[in-house]
Amino acid sequence: MICGGGLAAHITVAMLSRQLPATIGITFVQLGDTSGTDLFYGSVAGPTAYAFNRSAGLEEPKLVLESDTAFSWGTKYDHWASGSRSWIQCFQLPLPIIDGVMFHHYVVQQGVAQLEPFLAAAAAARKGAFVHPPQKPGAGQEPLSRSEYGYQFDAMSYGGLFDACTDRGRVRIVNATTLEIERDESGIAAILLASGERIAGDLFVDCTGPDALVVSRVGSSFAARRKLGAAISHSPSAQLGAPMRTVSPTSFGWRSETPLRGRRARLTVYHPDSTADALQEHPDGAERTCEITLGRRSDAWCGNCVAIGQAAYVVEPLSTAPLLLLERDVERLMSLIPSSTDMSIERREYNRQSAEDHEHAELFTRAILETDHFPDTPYWQAVRAEPTNEKFARKIELFQDRGLLVSYDLEPFNPEDWTILHFGMGRGPARHDRMADRAPRDRVQGFLARMKRDVEKAVASLPSHATYMAELSRYLTQNRL
Amino acid sequence: MQPRLKDIVIVGGGSAGWMTAAALSSLLDPKDVTITLVESDQIGTIGVGEATIPDIINFNRILGLDEVEFMKATNATFKLGIEFVDWGRKGDRYIHPFGQHGVDMKGIDFHNFWLHSRTAGSGQPIENYSLCSVLAKRNKFALPDPNPRSVLSHVRYAYHFDATLYARFLRKYAEARGVRRIEGKIEQVQQAGETGFIEALILDTGMTVRGDFFFDCTGFRALLSENTLGVPFIDWSHWLPCNSALAVPCSHSGPLTPYTRSTAKISGWQWRIPTQQRTGNGHIYCREFISDDEATSILMDGLDGEALGTPRQIRFTAGHRRDFWTGNCIAIGLSAGFLEPLESTSIYLIQEGISRFISLFSTVGTPQIVRDEYNRHMRTEFEQVRDFIILHFSATQRDDSPFWQYCSAMSIPDSLKYKIELFHEASRIFRYEEELFTRPSWVAVMLGQGITPKCLDPIVSNLPHHEVTESIESMRRAMEQAADQASTHEQFIARYCPAEVH
Repeated sequence: MICGGGLAAHITVAMLSRQLPATIGITFVQLGDTSGTDLFYGSVAGPTAYAFNRSAGLEEPKLVLESDTAFSWGTKYDHWASGSRSWIQCFQLPLPIIDGVMFHHYVVQQGVAQLEPFLAAAAAARKGAFVHPPQKPGAGQEPLSRSEYGYQFDAMSYGGLFDACTDRGRVRIVNATTLEIERDESGIAAILLASGERIAGDLFVDCTGPDALVVSRVGSSFAARRKLGAAISHSPSAQLGAPMRTVSPTSFGWRSETPLRGRRARLTVYHPDSTADALQEHPDGAERTCEITLGRRSDAWCGNCVAIGQAAYVVEPLSTAPLLLLERDVERLMSLIPSSTDMSIERREYNRQSAEDHEHAELFTRAILETDHFPDTPYWQAVRAEPTNEKFARKIELFQDRGLLVSYDLEPFNPEDWTILHFGMGRGPARHDRMADRAPRDRVQGFLARMKRDVEKAVASLPSHATYMAELSRYLTQNRL
Repeated sequence: MQPRLKDIVIVGGGSAGWMTAAALSSLLDPKDVTITLVESDQIGTIGVGEATIPDIINFNRILGLDEVEFMKATNATFKLGIEFVDWGRKGDRYIHPFGQHGVDMKGIDFHNFWLHSRTAGSGQPIENYSLCSVLAKRNKFALPDPNPRSVLSHVRYAYHFDATLYARFLRKYAEARGVRRIEGKIEQVQQAGETGFIEALILDTGMTVRGDFFFDCTGFRALLSENTLGVPFIDWSHWLPCNSALAVPCSHSGPLTPYTRSTAKISGWQWRIPTQQRTGNGHIYCREFISDDEATSILMDGLDGEALGTPRQIRFTAGHRRDFWTGNCIAIGLSAGFLEPLESTSIYLIQEGISRFISLFSTVGTPQIVRDEYNRHMRTEFEQVRDFIILHFSATQRDDSPFWQYCSAMSIPDSLKYKIELFHEASRIFRYEEELFTRPSWVAVMLGQGITPKCLDPIVSNLPHHEVTESIESMRRAMEQAADQASTHEQFIARYCPAEVH
């Protein structure tokens, strides 16, 4: 039994209907308007989306042909760290490990401050170019084969895609406006609708967004943090822009520009006290606005009810964390579908992993915000007032001091994400791994120079994102069965 | 910036000491840093036949050792896994192989497919889907094929070798790279008044050895960590009650097995580690449940060749030093902690101790956050290995002796309890914190010790039986064929790396 609406609900219903054995019945109670809060899922999906979507039954060609979704190499943080630094937080497979030493130590050893010249995805993003990274690199394509891509999306149309690929014969769909809960000793016995209908179930999945209409009634409490507002507007664009989102800091918070097909989305995220300033960034008026409180619930899975997405935790869409966490929620649920009505073992493991995922994703978001030179306005004051923990200090200090990537259990963001972020923020390590000194310096220098040249050469011949997308669409339309 | 280390002193010359010396000397220029190792010929080292896990290959590779040369010099044989005899119940046997069972498909772990086929009536044990155990059962060996399409690409291996010879081999390596060896016993340790940092060692020869960083590789005596720095020991004997070992080599008989054997005994267990020229044996037991004399006769009865010498006694307590790195001193090897070698982790824990130090490479007066990170990492490593070893003792149906009654009834760490419950409920395994033992290892031991999932994962149970059976049987046939073509372990060693006769 799934309750809720919007992106989280559509993704969950699509996945469950495709993966669960036929012996388990699925009911979807469609409820509530989440079009506002869905803004907080952001507009960029990371490279995990491709495989995730497939397992939920959404193939990429459908995504290309039936929505305004575009490709993405990542996010550019513009004039961000220390007031002037810009970098592209691109998606990257592991960087080379040479002689047992991670790549970035050689970069530091050579006194190079930037990682970007070695990242093909970043170079392509800067140029506004896109192709699918080759599986088997042909001549001159090696650098690109280490790149990964995700998607730039609009939360509403992205959710609609999942809705459209849900097998209607597999799922019973009920529309509701309100809901009452009938409790029993294991948690929830049934859901009562305004129509008088009573829907019983063994496991309830709460996708009702931050209100957590179901799980909040069985004892899961919310630990609130900062309050945020978000507003979105779109402007038409004749030509598809770069496969990259651009985020810039402002006095009210930050602003992002995301090229989609046929339009550009502008999202502002701000402190509620600065709403008026933020809305000025939407000259034709904001299409939707929403206020939300960041934080997380004590237990994502409580009794026989699992909260998915924002019903479990609300995070800031500054990185790809919101959608990444949503995907992981759904995957975690699939890996722990209870085998009987006593769910204590599944619940404990789910809650352990869920709490860690949230904490670790927050470390990454926090690391983007951790720099001086931001204005002294309500948003940035609130950010600075938030305490950090010891895990965070270890990550930052050990990288800054000696280039060591401290990592924790199954983090949502991988070591490459962290390396690119640290370099982008100018947290280049003070010292490199001594093991790097075993290789002759001139050879290392030659290797890095060659790598940089290869990236430049590989990117030079790429088509623009717009051209590639147009040709891909044409090809897919022609070959569609 | 703080000054770099200039003088590193290693105390103790067993495997731990010489592994540390070799690794550091491969890395540091003698012009910048001097490395001194102090050892005494009067103090014996605990070098018995040693079994390892595949991580040792990385260590040797970082040193640039030639595999053939190393194997010849240390009497080494290959190891594909461990056979456990009489653990779950008397008469049970299973192999915990290196590498994977089968191949994961559709994002689902292989063991779920295997469980699925079992409900359809297949009687094949899961080890028959592991190439390493298929080879091991036939006493065969082949090196991994770098071509990922070849079934032989699934081979993972480690070594059995003579630990004393390994230390000697590494000594030669380290001395050639400028490590200075000093013979002598330590009489006194000088510490800085304010920081407690170690400054110098005074030897029985009257010599003073100064240094700015020290490695305590003094074995169970933990000369620096315990005696000088007073670092407390975390005692795990309530979970791992064994506290004594008797070790003796014996002559070869029968085929040269490419695996370690571990046989559960009445109040402990016995290892069997084949090196090229003899077989190492040891009986690990708990003195609260059995006398030394009884333990000796069990050891001797369990030899499959003629005993070469009289058994040597070793006493220990399971656990670890609360802090591995204190001030300017790191404990490596037995001075850092002891876990019985049931899963061959001793050399691995030494290796981790060294490589973590290298990745954090210290300056003089290391910042506290660096020490904390090192200690956090090593503590986690020890705890994860501990849980895996406890599993062998606690997941048993044996109740034929007070020892086994104790083990099957004892409380276990929550971290382990949760793992067992998840597997028992619906065959789920999650890897925590990049732990050493991967999912296939946990699956092999849990199934081998008789923990059977109550039901299949609901998503796997959805798949049609014939499809599952067909695909896993084709994997098994490919492994059988590869084993048919492989040469015996004995032939392979004779051709590849025969030891010089010592």
